[in-house]
Amino acid sequence: MTTLLRRPLVVLLLALALVAAGCAEAEDGGDAAAGGGGGETASDAASAPAGDTVSEAPATEEGPIRIGAVLDITGPGANLGGPERDTLELLVEQLNAEGGIDGREVELDIRDNQSREDEAATQLTSLLQEDVDIILGASRTGPSLAMRPIAEQAEIPMISLSANLSIIEGSEWVFKTAQNDSVVVQRLLEWMEAQGHETLGLARDASAFGEGVADIFREVSGNPDIVLVEERFATDATDFTAQMINLRDAGADVNVIWGIPPAAATATQAYRQLGIETPLLHSHGIGNPAFLEVAGDAAEGIVFPIGRLLVADELDPADPQTEVIQEFVTAYEERYGARPSTFAGHAWDGFTLAVQAIDEVGTDPAAIRDYLETAELVGMSGVFRMTPEDHSGLGPDALVFATVRDGQFALADEQPGS
Amino acid sequence: MIDLLQLVVAGLSTGAAYGLVGVGFVAIHSVTGIINLAQGEFAMVAGFVAIALLGAGFPLAAAAVAAVVTVAVLAGVIERVAVAPAAGSSAVVYIMLTLGVSTTLKATALLVAGPQPRALPAFTPGVLDLGGVQVRPQDLWILVATVIAAAALYVFLERTTTGRAFRACAEQPVAARLVGISPSRMSTLSWVLAGIVGAVAGVVSSPVFQTDWNIGLFLGLKGFVAASMGGLASIPAAILGGLLLGVVERLVAGYISSGLQDAVAFFLLIILLVARPSGVFGRTGAVARV
Repeated sequence: MTTLLRRPLVVLLLALALVAAGCAEAEDGGDAAAGGGGGETASDAASAPAGDTVSEAPATEEGPIRIGAVLDITGPGANLGGPERDTLELLVEQLNAEGGIDGREVELDIRDNQSREDEAATQLTSLLQEDVDIILGASRTGPSLAMRPIAEQAEIPMISLSANLSIIEGSEWVFKTAQNDSVVVQRLLEWMEAQGHETLGLARDASAFGEGVADIFREVSGNPDIVLVEERFATDATDFTAQMINLRDAGADVNVIWGIPPAAATATQAYRQLGIETPLLHSHGIGNPAFLEVAGDAAEGIVFPIGRLLVADELDPADPQTEVIQEFVTAYEERYGARPSTFAGHAWDGFTLAVQAIDEVGTDPAAIRDYLETAELVGMSGVFRMTPEDHSGLGPDALVFATVRDGQFALADEQPGS
Repeated sequence: MIDLLQLVVAGLSTGAAYGLVGVGFVAIHSVTGIINLAQGEFAMVAGFVAIALLGAGFPLAAAAVAAVVTVAVLAGVIERVAVAPAAGSSAVVYIMLTLGVSTTLKATALLVAGPQPRALPAFTPGVLDLGGVQVRPQDLWILVATVIAAAALYVFLERTTTGRAFRACAEQPVAARLVGISPSRMSTLSWVLAGIVGAVAGVVSSPVFQTDWNIGLFLGLKGFVAASMGGLASIPAAILGGLLLGVVERLVAGYISSGLQDAVAFFLLIILLVARPSGVFGRTGAVARV
């Protein structure tokens, strides 16, 4: 029968179609998110053609100010991008209610990159065509790295909300608000030293967020043999048996899971299910209630360095960040009925830095860039002190040690190095 | 040795879910020649329905059964509304049609449930220690559900008149029609069966894989590779193919590199398509068999 001849052809066609499906779905997902996200353009000026004529003239200091954001709202980074979008929408509403910047309304254009590098680049390019004054995002390192060269080429300031140092290293135009991973590693090493641990096993996100973490551990500690084993997992991985077995067998003094939820949470479950007793450390990628929901009891007793926002209730009233953090927590809880995650804090910092810069120097891109290079801000992720060399502006003092106690994030009893 | 067993156990449970989804591909393809790109979405929808019902206060067992029934009905309706009207079209048309169905289901799930992954609780909490091998009870649930679903399907196809008619349609469509079997009824039936197995996979794997709007792509791709091992024509081969794929993935992750884990399925798929389009377990030139 002809079926015999047709089948291989059909199967090949299908393989092609599946690939097409992978791409097409993403497209549609984005549209759906745009429909469901409740207005990606927070101020309702989607109709107003941005700016006046084509902006040949140097930025005119009138009309609305446009802030563009590219966030990981769907896909594996959804736990980061969701709260970030919520935060930006809340902040822009507050700002406009108070009269905007110098009487100018602020328009926010939020795009979903679906946690993908290519989509982040596409969305940024599209935003640039709409004359935005500054870019926020992306939520994770990979998409941020995809955006960096585009922002640099367009010579427009960009504030990433993600962690990896490579996003800002040597860049003129790119800044970021999440703590550097090298600073996080430094704090983890301080913890290990205080506990007398000398070696570690590492299971890390296979995406750009986890890339190079083992090298940072070796560099910062000055011990080339500190990492006994390095395991990888995909950001959307679901089974971690193999990685956790290899951690167990390596027999390090302490193990580190470096990832974001849900993967980091499922990995923690697998770690406990295999009955591994070695102390477990995490990165600052888990500062999100979604981690607790998935990890459940397995999360009890883990330790990780994190910005003070996550433990807002336990802060010392004398701490310079306490007041501003508690104010944000109250506003966010009132609006969304949930506590803001660490990532919401990164978005607060990015937005506030952008607004502060435009308030001071207007919308000329080079002026904004120059201002950001010396900006100072008491923010959610720490006290920022930007310099032309350091576009992150956060030191180790931005991080405290947190743990999970009775299913809640809590300040760890011991705070070595601070 | 313990490590090997531990990896195999994890691989078998993951693989069983792949296999179940693969069975859905086989059920529809063998009778209608259609490759249903929405197969993974059946699992996704079932997961969300079960989670929603559980949230509404239904007991877990009732929520699970209701989710499977809902998706079975949904699959039948999709066949009637979207697929049947295009009867006689070429393979490309069906691929676009089912792609459209898949996209619609995804977009709907994203709108209704949002982008965050959710999960059913484990059916039985805790961890079993079998001679040093730590086994999640949910792994056993997945394996048991797969065996039961596959066995029920087998009994249905081999022992009931409708099942025999179904097979006749798959093997000799012309002859089947001549003796009065309605191909269109059998087509609907194949979609319902595919909906059931996909839904079972989606519900039992939810505690382990989690359910999000995009999980159907992952399950669908892996299930398709599993089904391809039997040339999209054999239910036992699809199950075996799934188990094999699951175990190989875990072994590669454990012994070679955890970074390669997800490349395995696609690597296998390419080899299969080039070397044995009729499947590892299929006979070259064999007549389509269920």
